[in-house]
Amino acid sequence: MSIQVSMVPDATETVNAPRVDRAAYLSRLVQLRGELDAAGSGLKDLRDRATALVQERAMPSTRAEEWRFTDLSPLLQESFQPVVPQPITAEAIIPFGLTDAPHRLVFVDGVYAPSLSTLGDLPPEVQLGNLSRVPGGIPHIGQHQGAEETFTALNTACMTDAAVIWVAQGQEWRTPIHLLVVTTTGAATLSHPRCVVIAEAGSQFTLIEEFVSLEGGGAAWVNRVTEIKLGAGATVNHTRVQRQGAHTFHIGKTAVSQARDSRYVATVLNWGAHLARHHLEIYQTGAQTATILNGLTLLQGEQLGDTHSLIAFTQPYGMANQVQKCIVGDRAHAVFNGKIWVPQAAQLTNASQLSRNLLLSPRARVDTKPQLEITADNVKCSHGATVSQLEEDEVFYLQSRGISAEMARQLLTFAFAAEVVDAIPLPTLRDRIRSELSLRLNPA
Amino acid sequence: MLQPSPLLHERFILLAVERALPMTATVQNLVNQPYKYGFVTDIESDAIPKGLNEDVVRLISAKKQEPEWMLEFRLRAYRQWLKMTEPTWQHATYPAIDYQDIVYYSAPKVKEKKKSLEEVDPQLLETFEKLGIPLSEQKRLTNVAVDAIFDSVSVATTFKEKLAEQGVIFCSISEALREHPDLVRQYLGSVVPIADNYFAALNSAVFSDGSFVYIPKDTQCPMELSTYFRINNGESGQFERTLIVAEAGSSVSYLEGCTAPMYDTNQLHAAVVELVALDHAEIKYSTVQNWYAGDKDGKGGIYNFVTKRGLCQGVNSKISWTQVETGSAITWKYPSCVLVGDNSIGEFYSVALTNHHQQADTGTKMVHIGKNTRSTIISKGISAGHSKNSYRGLVKFGPKAIGARNYSQCDSMLIGDRAEANTFPYIQVQTNTGKVEHEASTSKIGEDQLFYLQQRGISLEDAVSMMISGFCKDVFNQLPMEFAVEADRLLSLKLEGSVG
Repeated sequence: MSIQVSMVPDATETVNAPRVDRAAYLSRLVQLRGELDAAGSGLKDLRDRATALVQERAMPSTRAEEWRFTDLSPLLQESFQPVVPQPITAEAIIPFGLTDAPHRLVFVDGVYAPSLSTLGDLPPEVQLGNLSRVPGGIPHIGQHQGAEETFTALNTACMTDAAVIWVAQGQEWRTPIHLLVVTTTGAATLSHPRCVVIAEAGSQFTLIEEFVSLEGGGAAWVNRVTEIKLGAGATVNHTRVQRQGAHTFHIGKTAVSQARDSRYVATVLNWGAHLARHHLEIYQTGAQTATILNGLTLLQGEQLGDTHSLIAFTQPYGMANQVQKCIVGDRAHAVFNGKIWVPQAAQLTNASQLSRNLLLSPRARVDTKPQLEITADNVKCSHGATVSQLEEDEVFYLQSRGISAEMARQLLTFAFAAEVVDAIPLPTLRDRIRSELSLRLNPA
Repeated sequence: MLQPSPLLHERFILLAVERALPMTATVQNLVNQPYKYGFVTDIESDAIPKGLNEDVVRLISAKKQEPEWMLEFRLRAYRQWLKMTEPTWQHATYPAIDYQDIVYYSAPKVKEKKKSLEEVDPQLLETFEKLGIPLSEQKRLTNVAVDAIFDSVSVATTFKEKLAEQGVIFCSISEALREHPDLVRQYLGSVVPIADNYFAALNSAVFSDGSFVYIPKDTQCPMELSTYFRINNGESGQFERTLIVAEAGSSVSYLEGCTAPMYDTNQLHAAVVELVALDHAEIKYSTVQNWYAGDKDGKGGIYNFVTKRGLCQGVNSKISWTQVETGSAITWKYPSCVLVGDNSIGEFYSVALTNHHQQADTGTKMVHIGKNTRSTIISKGISAGHSKNSYRGLVKFGPKAIGARNYSQCDSMLIGDRAEANTFPYIQVQTNTGKVEHEASTSKIGEDQLFYLQQRGISLEDAVSMMISGFCKDVFNQLPMEFAVEADRLLSLKLEGSVG
C-alpha cells in the first residue's frame, strides 16, 4: 500500500477552473482605477507608485504560503468592473442605525455620502469625513508597514477617496463613532474603500466599523484597507463587523501602528460574504503598548472565512492578548493564521494567543496555525489552539435539566460566541449582534 | 574521564558513581571540551568519484550486487529527482548545495567477505570503541544488538543468531536485499514513496546502506535493536535507508545514534526511515542525533535532511518516535505517523537543542485517517547562542477520522537574547467528531529558580543543567534508560559556556 503524504500538506486548488493568467488578471484590475478628483489630488504619486507595484504582481495562488488555504479561484471567474455608485435612500440604511453612536459616516460603494452621514456637533479636535476635510492631505496614508502587500497596494493604486477620522491630541471623545460601509451589490463590481484613522497622543475614542450589503444579487468585491495610527498614550476601541451579502467577496486589511503606551482593543466579527479574508496587522513602534484582539468568525453554507493576524513587537514591555474563535457549520471553511513576532529588541514582552474552533457539521473544515517567532529571551509567550465539537457531557447535563438537545446545543454554541460578542462596547450593537446570532443558530 | 556514549549499562554505572561526587569538577572538566567524536579514522576506503548521474546510480547498485528491480527503483527515483526542485520553505538559511560535489558511495575497503566480528578490520573496531560501541565483546554486558554503519556501508551486526532464534531479522539493508528480497520489495518505498520530496527522491536513488528489521507475527523482540551511524569520509554524503516492519501482534524498540568527524565543509545527510506497523503491532523508534554541528562560528557541520515516517497500517497499532536532536549544522526533519488503522496511536517526543549557529526546523506530522486514532506530541526546544530552533508540526484529521484525538504541547526555552525560537503548528481538521488541543509556550530559563539553586550552593552551570533536564523530563522518560542518561549528559555538555 502506498500512502502519499507530501512534505508540505497539500494545497487545495480548484480543479475544474480554467487557467487564468494571474498577473494579467491583476494588471487588468488596476487599469480600471477611477480618476482622482480635487480632494484626492494629493494621492497621485502614491497611487502611481502602488500601480507600478501591482503591475509586477500576480493574484496569489494557493501555492503561496500566505494563501495556502484560501483559494481565490472563484474571484478569478468573475470579470469585475469598477463600481458605479448607486444612490440610496436614507430609508435603506435605517436598519443599520445605532442610537448610541450619533456620529455616523456613511460610504456607499467606496464613495462618501454626506447626505446619509450625521456628523453632529463636533469640536475642531475631532475631524470626521472624507479627504476633502483635510485640505493639506494626510501624510500617513499608505505609509504603514505591509502597505506593499498585493491587495493593499491594489487599494492604494485604485482609491479615489478615503474616510478620515482624526482625533487631536489629548482629546478624550466619549461618544462612539460609527463608520458604515455599504455595498449595493451590483453584479461583479469592484470597490476599494479606504479609511484613515489618526488618534493623536493621549486621545481616546471608540470606533465602530461596519460592512453591510443592501438587498440584491451579484458578486461584489470589496477590497478594503483601514489604517489606524495611535500616538503615544492613545486608546482606541475598535469594533469591526463584517456581515456582507452571501455573494460578496471581502478582502480587508486593518493595519495598526501603536506608539508608546498606547492601547488598542479590537473586536472583529466576521460572518458575512462568500469569501472573506481579513488581515489584521499590529505594528508596535514604541515601548509598553497593549493590544487586545477578540475575533469571532461565524460561517455556514459554503462560506470561507480567513483571518490572518500579525502582532509585530519591536520594543520592550509590550503586551498582547488575542482570542480568535470560529464556529463553522455546513460545508464552510475557516482559516486562521496568527503570527506573533518578537525580535531581540522586544524584551519583556508578554503575549498570549488562543485559537478556538467549534465544528458543527461533518463537512465543516478548519485550518488553524498559531505561530510564534521569537528571538528575545526575556519574554513570556504562549499560544493554544483547540478544534472540537460541543461536549456531549455538557449537552447531556442540560438535557437532564429538561432542556431539549437541540436547545442545549444552541445555548452552548451561543455561549461559545458570547465571550467575543460581549466585548462589543456599544449596547445597541451588542444586542443586535446577539439577536442575530440567536437567529442564525436557530433559523426556525 | 567520562565518555558519553550510548547504550551501555557499564556506562550507566560509571555515571552513577560520578554523580555522587561533587558535580562541579566533572562539569569543569567537560567545559571547553569540544565535539569529542570529531576524529577521523585513517582507513582505506573504497570511494567512487564525486558527482551524480545515472552511471553512478548503476555503479552503486552494481557494487551492492542488487537485484534488477532495485536498480529500476533507483533509476526511477533518480529521474524523478531530476524533475524536482529543492524546497525553500524551511526556516533555515544555507548556501546552495552542489550535488555534483558529493561522493555518493564510500565504504571501508574489505579484502574478503567477513565471517565473524573477529575478521573486521581492527582499526575499524577501534573506531567504534572510541565511540563507545564495542562491537566485539559486550555480549555479556548488554542486551542491545547493534548494526554499525560506517560511511555508506554496514560493517557489523551483532547478536544476529540470537535474534534469528525468534525469527527476527536484523541486518543491513544490502544484506536484506540479497537474502530477503521479497520482504524488502514489498515494503520499500511504501511509506515514503520515491516522489515524496526532493531529499527522499535523492535518497531512493543513491542510498547505500541502512538497517532492515523484520519482526514476525506475535513476536516481542527480545532485545533493543540499535544502529550506529558514522560518517568518516570528508567528502561523502550519507544516504542511509532504514526499514522496519512489525507484523501483526509484534513489538520492537529500536535505537539510533549518529556522529561524524569535524570537517570545515558541510556534509549532506539525507536519510529515509520507513516504519510499518500491522495489526496490534508496536514500534518504538528512538534517536540520539549528535552529528558534527560545526564550530562555534557556524563553519562546517552536517546538513541533516531526513524523511522519517511511520505507517500505522493495522488496527490498534502504535508507532512512537522519540528524538534527542543536538547535533548537525542544520536539522530538518519531521518524523511522522500516518494513522490508517482504526484505533491506531502515534506519538512524538522530541528534545531539540541548538547552540552557536545551528539551525533546526523539526517537528512532526500526525495524519489521522482511521477511526478513533490518537496522537500525542511533546516537543521541547532549547535555543542558545545564535541558533534558530523551530517547531513545525502538522495535525491533520481527514473526513473519515471519526473520534480522532490529538494533544500537542511544544515548549521553547531561550538561552541568550540572540537565539531564536519559532513555532509553526498547522492544524487541519475536516471532521466534527475529533478533538485537537495544542499549546505552546516560550520563555527564558527562570532567573528565580537559578538563583534559588545557586543559593543552595549549586554552581550556575549545574543549575542550568538541572533545569534543562527538568524541562526535558517528559521526553527523556520515553527513552530507554541508558539512552536517557546519555541524552541528559549530552545536553549539559552542549550547553557549556552558553550561560552566564
